[in-house]
Amino acid sequence: MKITITLAAFILALLAIGAVNAQDGDQNGVAYFRSRAFNVPILAGWEDQSTETVAQFYLAEAGATIRTAIVPQDDILAAAGADLRAAFGVDFGGPGYQDKVNLADGTWTVLIYEPDARISASVMARHVENETVVISFVESDPAGRILMLAVARSDESEADASGEIDAATGRLLDPAVEFFRQASLALPSGEWMVLSAERYTAMGMVFGNDSFLALAESAAEQLPALADAYNRTLLGFFITPDNSTYLALGLAAAFIILGTLVGSLFWRERALRKDLALLQVLAGEDG
Amino acid sequence: MKTPFITSVAAIIKKDLRAEFRARELVSLMGLFTLLSVLVFSFALELDREAREEAVSGVLWVTLIFASILGLNRGMAQERDQGGLDATLAAPVSRSAIYLGKLLGNFFFTAIVALVMLPLMTVLYGKNLLDAWVIGTTVIGVFGFAAIGTLLATLTVQTRAREALLPIAMLPIVLPFLLTAVRATTGLLNGAVEREWQSSLGMLAAITVIYFVMCLLLYRYVVEE
Amino acid sequence: MGEKPKLAASDLQIERRPQPRLLRILTVITALGFAGSLYLGLAAAGTDILQGEIQRIFYIHMPSFFGAFTAFGLTLVGGLIYLARRREKWDRIALAGVEVGLAFSLINLLTGSIWARPIWNTWWTWDPRLTSAAIMCLTYAAYLMLRAGIDDLDRRRAFMSVYGILAFVTVLITLFIIRIVPETIHPVIVGASPQNAQGGFEATSGVVMALIPSLLLWLIFMPLTLMWHRVRLENRIEALNRLKTQALSE
Repeated sequence: MKITITLAAFILALLAIGAVNAQDGDQNGVAYFRSRAFNVPILAGWEDQSTETVAQFYLAEAGATIRTAIVPQDDILAAAGADLRAAFGVDFGGPGYQDKVNLADGTWTVLIYEPDARISASVMARHVENETVVISFVESDPAGRILMLAVARSDESEADASGEIDAATGRLLDPAVEFFRQASLALPSGEWMVLSAERYTAMGMVFGNDSFLALAESAAEQLPALADAYNRTLLGFFITPDNSTYLALGLAAAFIILGTLVGSLFWRERALRKDLALLQVLAGEDG
Repeated sequence: MKTPFITSVAAIIKKDLRAEFRARELVSLMGLFTLLSVLVFSFALELDREAREEAVSGVLWVTLIFASILGLNRGMAQERDQGGLDATLAAPVSRSAIYLGKLLGNFFFTAIVALVMLPLMTVLYGKNLLDAWVIGTTVIGVFGFAAIGTLLATLTVQTRAREALLPIAMLPIVLPFLLTAVRATTGLLNGAVEREWQSSLGMLAAITVIYFVMCLLLYRYVVEE
Repeated sequence: MGEKPKLAASDLQIERRPQPRLLRILTVITALGFAGSLYLGLAAAGTDILQGEIQRIFYIHMPSFFGAFTAFGLTLVGGLIYLARRREKWDRIALAGVEVGLAFSLINLLTGSIWARPIWNTWWTWDPRLTSAAIMCLTYAAYLMLRAGIDDLDRRRAFMSVYGILAFVTVLITLFIIRIVPETIHPVIVGASPQNAQGGFEATSGVVMALIPSLLLWLIFMPLTLMWHRVRLENRIEALNRLKTQALSE
């Protein structure tokens, strides 16, 4: 008796401790911004401007913002434009660069907006059912110009992203720039290669069948940190899985089986009583 | 006074072998069943040569398990009709000796059938089953079936539904044998790396020993009056 | 021939001992604990970020296996003691263990299968641990069928003790197969894992906090309480059967 009560008290205490401590949202030590629709890593060292549904991080010294939002609109271009306008109060106009890449979780549209020399926005967007998720890197540092993009690999036999960097800078920079100095750089998001030219710095990271690129004019010191932050956001992004129906199904299964077990105890007990009553009636008739 | 252990085991085996030699019922029954089963599977899988080659070890073991269930049931029915088991039980013989004697008899008959089956399947299925390791695996597996089957057949023969209950009682218990044996045989036949089939074979041997010891100890509780 | 005294209706009684106080306390604790562990798993614990809500099924899935382990373990113990001592009580405990354990392991199998659908994208896969868990269920289902097939009471008790002892090997195989056959994709939750299971997840401190009370509840209180009720029921069933034979032989 004493043992039972002690054990029970112990369990109840554990339940209470459990209830207090059970909250746990981190994955592998990385803190996540979590919402109904999507999840992205929280960028340490950046100012957190997130709301309940939008993840937004701001780094003042680079004038850079990384924002993830879900827009209730089917058209990707319209959705990206609307999200940028809503967030920064600037009309970004049409994209100066547009491309598509296939990542593990679907086809993303790559957009780059440069409405004027002060501000630029690099956007990755894709459909999530009838909505559009927009992950944007917006840079408003007057001293430099920083762009981020992902491109499909041009030659998969090549070990590094230099081919993609050449192709992309050929499209983005006018006149084309010849890069020469080369170095490699290990960052939390992965192994990057860095190419430099007189005023430009380009970074590239091979990831599966695609390469992630970052390009800076003048503001080279900030580039690795920014490229790393943006790509950690891209790679860490995932849609919140919606499987609560299965949870309900599993619970129902468990309850039905437990209910059947307990119910059969009651049912057999009742059948037993009935049999006994019948037996008593029969014995009464005999005697 | 109890008869010495080895003597009693030998006497029981001798009795079973002599009876079988005279009637030739068990081995011919199991042999015929095996032949039919192998042919039926061969026809059923005929459409696809590749599927047939893949299925060799499955066919082998499924046939062996059902053949041994058939043999065990028939053997027990004979014992019951002739009162053989009761007579043995009345003799001053240790129960473990009876178990061991019956087990070795059953194992012997099933092993004969299995060893005939291997060349037969080699011919019909175009895979060489006459490999020392395959034969070894087969012998261990058949011994495991016999170890459990002897105990469970003695148990089920005393129940109301008799023959019908043996497969129900036996199949779930021998499934671990079946799984490891099929894995080991498949690995051997497909020329997999040694480590792969050896771990399955090791597990098969381990569970055979475990169940054999358990059945040896528990047998006396299923033959008491 | 002397007249046998006739059975009067008032003699036809099954001894109705009131529930012992300990059983009533146990029942209340189990019910409260069950509600509490559900609250912990379904509400207090954080949502798993990668698997979403379905991960919560784990707070029932794993404890239910532990409950089945206890129940089947008591079947083993009951069988061993029955064979040694020949007290009916131990056979009834063994039977109760099979029924409760079977229900728990069915819960374990079904919840696992339902979890696998969104995570592994399949209801069932012939993974070693899933297979051995299914074998375990089938073995104990066979126990119940076999038991129903034996009429002689003493024989039934002895035989089923033997079968219950043999069947426990399948429980041990299920428990340890994850270490023996390393290619299983079933996640190893407790202890170091040799494989990087797909759909596995780290047992973070929050998960463990919500899990331990449920584990203790399912390991000890759920099987004991349910089995105790089942044993009391079996006592009465056998008493009634004795009365029936008595009445028929009149």
